[in-house]
Amino acid sequence: MTTIKKRKPKLTWLVRDWRLYVMLALPVIWYLLFCYKPMIGVVIAFQKYSLVKGMWGSRWVGLDNFEFVMGLRDFPLALKNTLWLNLMGLVMGFPVPIILAIMLNEIKHSGVKRVSQTLLYLPHFLSWIIIGGMVLKIFAPTTGVVNSMLLRFGLIDKNVPFLTDGPTWQLTYTLVGVWQNMGWGTILYLSAITGINMELFEAARIDGANKIQQIWHLTLPVIRSTIVVLLILNIGQMMNISFDRPYIMGNTRVQNYCDVLSTFVYRAGITNAQFARATAIGLFQSVVGLIMVSSANFVTKRLGEDGIW
Amino acid sequence: MKKTLTLVLALVMMLSLALPAFADEGWVELRVEAYDRTIAGFNLEDCWQLRYAQEHFGDPNKIKLIFVPVPRWTEGEVLTTQLGGGTAPDLCMTYNGDLINQYIEFDGLYQLDALLEEYGPNLKAFLGDDLLKFGQQDRDGDGTKEQWFLSARRLSVANVGNFIRADWLKALNMEKPTDIESFTAYLKAAKEAGLGGTRTIPMHFDLYESNPLYNVVRFADAFIDFSQVTEEDWFAYSGLHEMLPGSKEAYRWFNQLYHEGLLYENFDINDDTATDSALLNGYFGFFSMQPDQPWRTDKNYQKEMETAVEGAEWVSVNCFKNESLGKYLHDEYAANGLSIIIPKNGGATTEEKAIAAVKYMDWLAQPENMFAMQNGVEGINYLEVTADGIPTKVQSADAVPDENKMHAGDICFISNGLYYGSPEKNAAAIALGFDEKYQANIVESYVHAGTDAWTQTSFSIPIQAETDYGAMIKSKQGEFLSKVVTCDPAEFDAIYDAAIQDILNTGASELIEEQRAAYQAGEFRGTFPGAAQ
Repeated sequence: MTTIKKRKPKLTWLVRDWRLYVMLALPVIWYLLFCYKPMIGVVIAFQKYSLVKGMWGSRWVGLDNFEFVMGLRDFPLALKNTLWLNLMGLVMGFPVPIILAIMLNEIKHSGVKRVSQTLLYLPHFLSWIIIGGMVLKIFAPTTGVVNSMLLRFGLIDKNVPFLTDGPTWQLTYTLVGVWQNMGWGTILYLSAITGINMELFEAARIDGANKIQQIWHLTLPVIRSTIVVLLILNIGQMMNISFDRPYIMGNTRVQNYCDVLSTFVYRAGITNAQFARATAIGLFQSVVGLIMVSSANFVTKRLGEDGIW
Repeated sequence: MKKTLTLVLALVMMLSLALPAFADEGWVELRVEAYDRTIAGFNLEDCWQLRYAQEHFGDPNKIKLIFVPVPRWTEGEVLTTQLGGGTAPDLCMTYNGDLINQYIEFDGLYQLDALLEEYGPNLKAFLGDDLLKFGQQDRDGDGTKEQWFLSARRLSVANVGNFIRADWLKALNMEKPTDIESFTAYLKAAKEAGLGGTRTIPMHFDLYESNPLYNVVRFADAFIDFSQVTEEDWFAYSGLHEMLPGSKEAYRWFNQLYHEGLLYENFDINDDTATDSALLNGYFGFFSMQPDQPWRTDKNYQKEMETAVEGAEWVSVNCFKNESLGKYLHDEYAANGLSIIIPKNGGATTEEKAIAAVKYMDWLAQPENMFAMQNGVEGINYLEVTADGIPTKVQSADAVPDENKMHAGDICFISNGLYYGSPEKNAAAIALGFDEKYQANIVESYVHAGTDAWTQTSFSIPIQAETDYGAMIKSKQGEFLSKVVTCDPAEFDAIYDAAIQDILNTGASELIEEQRAAYQAGEFRGTFPGAAQ
């Protein structure tokens, strides 16, 4: 056998696909700048951080910051609320986009479909400041739209405590979140469903499958891998909670139910410029998030699915 | 001829191109923080005061002034992040003394002694030695205190205004209440008569998240049993009056009012617009804010309520009588206003800018400049001047064209209050600044605010527990107030005790201990209302 001389230069992949790499470069740079470079900053979690001395000049204190924050009485409460609110959000919020995507897919009139999609996406683009204001006007006791209507028509004789009773507040919080995100969440599922070969549906119809059977045996199995990937990613987010949503929707009457890690960090760290303590909690959240996403991935693989790596 | 003209034109063009670049040379850009209260039509970044200061101070000194708007009610948080990121304005002001202490410790601020000496003679004279002391700390531990920040001069120390509806009292045929008992009777009668319509809210107070007990402590202090409170306790429990003997009964009283429907039931659900609209529509029978609040020109609750409800009138009331002292306690500010700093911003604020900042304050401190910056233009912002030189017929914000709108206090920040040269003139000016119709009510309100007044507590050394736990204690106090006011009266005692314990465990114990030590070391300011006189 004669060896075939390599005719192409080594960087042929780059020359051939350079446009694609240029496109890829943007997100890669974004990640390097905003996700990897800031990681260096976690060192301040182990320091008595002084803004002026900076990251390299501050005194090393080991785990002091962790001990301080985790020793605060609100920490376990904030941790519990974070997990609980996220779990409620996952259980109630995760299936909704799937169902919605299947329903949207069944709309045959393209005009109607587009309008409904746009309307469903819309809440995703509203800031929590605005939604918070709306929630207050709609659900406030006595003066809120819902309570004042129900009271006027005599359907209730006491306010429904949407915002003033802990567990009810948590439900309001979760459902508002579901409402905000359900439309946006359909995008990935819809694209997966659109990828299904139409011939499969025709074949199923010829075999006598009705709509429900088509969905159960065709649509769902096809989008299963998408569902699994999104579920793993969502589980990885269990420890993370946005700041604006609980901060804006919460109030002192439900403090024990709405105080989560992000608002706790804000109080214990940021308001008094205790950046090292805030960083310590952030690092803790990330480590737990990593453990969770890895275990979710491991379990999924064991169950015979693809996982995310 | 044509040739010459072309040449001249070309030269002019070249010059005009070169000029801006030339003009920039040697100029310093000075960014000054300015509180933004979102007054309709008032643009802080291009307001009359800015243009005036630029013309009379900036241009002659080659300093380009820029006002950086910061929302008044979140200024502390905004400044924290800006300082953290090194993007704070070159000249900043804040009410968050704790934040300043940290930046002194970080060595993040310009030391002001030399700068003031060289560039701020007028400023030093205006503030005076006593006031300068507030901003002095011994950072390096060599036994002498250095100047790290400046305290604005507060001309009027009155802080508390309690207001009741004169028209309601008349309708009920009642006298102004003079103690808790008669005040409670007023609230009950107002509710029964439904004087504000179906939405009658006899008593209003708010829970401000940044300081939850700010509003209610004024009423609750009336219940403190001073026979059991020493001066040391008073200072040790500064900011924690809910733990002083007798206070529990105050909160029990609130609880009763709440369950009888006499309190604003949404007091703890932050919704400023709802509060404002209820105030303007005349639903409230009582509220408490600053002594001049109902009559302020930029947001005149009295005037707007009058248009909604005929004959409605706010008058000041003195009814929170502390029986153990026989006094109507009112807290007063200390003479120091907000704190002014020049941050280093990690080098972004150069020494040149620091000098410009001091020069700017020195310019503000000169009487003729301060007069202009605080009062605006005769014939537009005010119509007449008294024989004493005090402007009268001050126009409300909506009567002034947008380009002349101003906010005296926020932009002329070195003086908290309008300054006319002497305490008598300043006091006279307070009422003159308002609509003539209301001046008698305003004077009465200030008299009440000064009755049996005690000066707020502060400490002249940093309190570490405040840094560590301050924000969390405040949040617990908010929770405490919500709980004890709204809870089932049968469970009040248990819930009250548990909530107090919760505050103590959140760091208040450490705070009390440290404040007690500061008191014992003599590092305190303020007065004790229970002191024998």
